[in-house]
Amino acid sequence: MKVALSADKASEGRKQVIIDHVKGLGHEIVDYSGDDIVAAIVRVTNAVRDEEVARGILLDSFGSLSYMVAAKQSGIVCAQVSDEHSAKMTRDHNNSTIIAMGTEVIGDTLAREIVSAFLGAEYSGGRHQIRVDMLNKLA
Amino acid sequence: MKIAIGCDHIVTDIKDEMVRYLEAQGHEVIDCGTYDLERTHYPIYGRRVAEQVVTNEAERGVVICGTGVGITTSANKVQGVRAPLVRDVTTARMAREQLDANVIGIGGRITGLGLMQEIVDVFLNTPFVETDESKQLIASVDALASTSRGLDGDEIFDEFLEKWETGCYVD
Repeated sequence: MKVALSADKASEGRKQVIIDHVKGLGHEIVDYSGDDIVAAIVRVTNAVRDEEVARGILLDSFGSLSYMVAAKQSGIVCAQVSDEHSAKMTRDHNNSTIIAMGTEVIGDTLAREIVSAFLGAEYSGGRHQIRVDMLNKLA
Repeated sequence: MKIAIGCDHIVTDIKDEMVRYLEAQGHEVIDCGTYDLERTHYPIYGRRVAEQVVTNEAERGVVICGTGVGITTSANKVQGVRAPLVRDVTTARMAREQLDANVIGIGGRITGLGLMQEIVDVFLNTPFVETDESKQLIASVDALASTSRGLDGDEIFDEFLEKWETGCYVD
């Protein structure tokens, strides 16, 4: 699948780790990073909404800024995660298409495992869809 | 401090424990539900907490669901909410200092009660550190979700609850 990425300046090193890992998993990755972090995050969410890419990964120091900005975009469900289980469950239950991770609170190995869990999990739908419909109604 | 709190049916017991914890510290708590273990839907409670905070009925909000993703994302979709979803104290502190976070999200099936209490303590007690950069970032975050229906009341979800009742959302 095609994956979009944005990273702030403090996450340059981590960005390379993620790019290499996503490619290693057999996926294509597109880097939308730029000087304006908020604009870069919005480019990723737009690419996901327009189905130019299937998933997005957002990196900044603590992940909170990326998460807030992405979550506020209409039609986007993003998850701020720092563990593998959340990365898997948020695909399964929330149909999240984007994750935000904090570079300063997650190591390289954990970051790779989170990405693997996120890209490898699928959405269950069913009863969970009412909540996703409600999210989309909010914004 | 006046604090709004909300959860879904997966973690009602944990939310109730957090209500007791906050009240024991002298805070006034607005419990936005859910109040029992009957299956319900996290956006209802995330929206209610967000509304309390952005209308200044509450100074801060706390939202908890299984991973925290659903309810925290619901809150963030309301304009004016800045809600990080955290699993550690440092992320909570930095979100207060750098982003003036006004709601905190936690995964009730991810984070244990001790750590959760510490996260909420730090979230409530850490002041915002205003800089030109932080002001600018907050302004750009607050400009988002401008089309949010977050203040239109619980009724915005009625159409989906009706579909739920007629069995449109089956596993």
